Amino acid sequence: MEHLNAEHLARLVDEQPTPEEADHLSTCKACSDKSDALRSQTEALRALPVMVPPQGDWHVLEAQLRSEGLMKDPGLVQRLGFVRTPGWMKTAAALVLFLSGTGTGVALTHADPGTIEPVAMDFANVEGAASAVLVAEQEYVTAVSRYREILAAGGGDNYGGDPVSRFAALEHLVMVSQAAVRQAPGDPFLNGMLASAMAERDVAARMVSSKRDNWF
Amino acid sequence: MKTNSINLTDHQIIRLAADGDARAIRSLYDRYSPRVYAVVRRIAGDDDLAEDYAQEAWIRAIRALPTFRGDARFSTWLHRIAVNAALQALRKAETREKREAPVVADIAIAPAASDSLLQKRLEGALDGLPEGMRRVLILHDVEGYTHEEIGDVLGVTAGTSKSQLFKARAKMRVMLAGLDGAAQEHGAEAWSI
Repeated sequence: MEHLNAEHLARLVDEQPTPEEADHLSTCKACSDKSDALRSQTEALRALPVMVPPQGDWHVLEAQLRSEGLMKDPGLVQRLGFVRTPGWMKTAAALVLFLSGTGTGVALTHADPGTIEPVAMDFANVEGAASAVLVAEQEYVTAVSRYREILAAGGGDNYGGDPVSRFAALEHLVMVSQAAVRQAPGDPFLNGMLASAMAERDVAARMVSSKRDNWF
Repeated sequence: MKTNSINLTDHQIIRLAADGDARAIRSLYDRYSPRVYAVVRRIAGDDDLAEDYAQEAWIRAIRALPTFRGDARFSTWLHRIAVNAALQALRKAETREKREAPVVADIAIAPAASDSLLQKRLEGALDGLPEGMRRVLILHDVEGYTHEEIGDVLGVTAGTSKSQLFKARAKMRVMLAGLDGAAQEHGAEAWSI
């Protein structure tokens, strides 16, 4: 039998040789060596490692994703773990941010007002400003955490199942929001919170009405 | 359930990424970008093209994330997108010059760590294969696709895929043998695969 050509030998990497091919391979060292080399080559290809993308690849991708609106940074509420909390609760948590600096936040954190020290607003340089932002964010985290504890301890997680209690809580939030908007009527953030709180309160009001209807 | 991204499951990260969450997308990128880059680099046969193809693959994947239902493994789904992105981009380009072993001397003269040298020699030989053979060889021998899967991706029959594969293996063997010869001429260590 003549020597096996290269393509025949390449096929034998995956497939069984015919009896004739097997006989030839058992007696022809040249073909046997080539066959072994092709097997080794295939094994080496299968073992090729993954490749690290060039540096800067991510930044190019990130810019492109943002330009297409496919990527956005999570809001502070999401970063704190409120991804799955209801909208009204997010509004409540956001309100704490505003109120924590005006007195109500002090009550929520159960802190002695006398122990609250004002943040040193040293904006003379970038480091000072960054430091002030970090302190403010930490205070917000503490206030929100405390707020969640209060909700949990007071049955806050059950508000969704108790429309009357939920409505009362939301009504309170609306009142507080309205007070905040009166202080800063042009503030879009506060107006947004007020609108959200009112919408949630209206939904709760409809749920209360619906339950009352069922009683009859 | 914890909501800290460090403790999120793959499924949760994918859902967040589908909503555009920057950290979730980065997490997917960190985990899967080496494999994505590797397959598009080998298909492209060129570093610059590979960067473009990898970008295109990721953008396609992020766009399509809301449609990912988890029927297949995410890595498999993403890998298929990367392969398709690279192949389609190559078809559009049509101007790629054939590389018939232009890197032989460089690879053979400068041996580094043995694994690294072997890898470079294989990658160099892959880059030097004709386009059609290279695609089939990469998809079958490197990425583990079946001939039927290759047929789907490349729009050819399984028989054509097999034929191209055997030719590619044989040609690759010749090229690697040529590299051995070049290495010996330059006094570098010869490599028998």
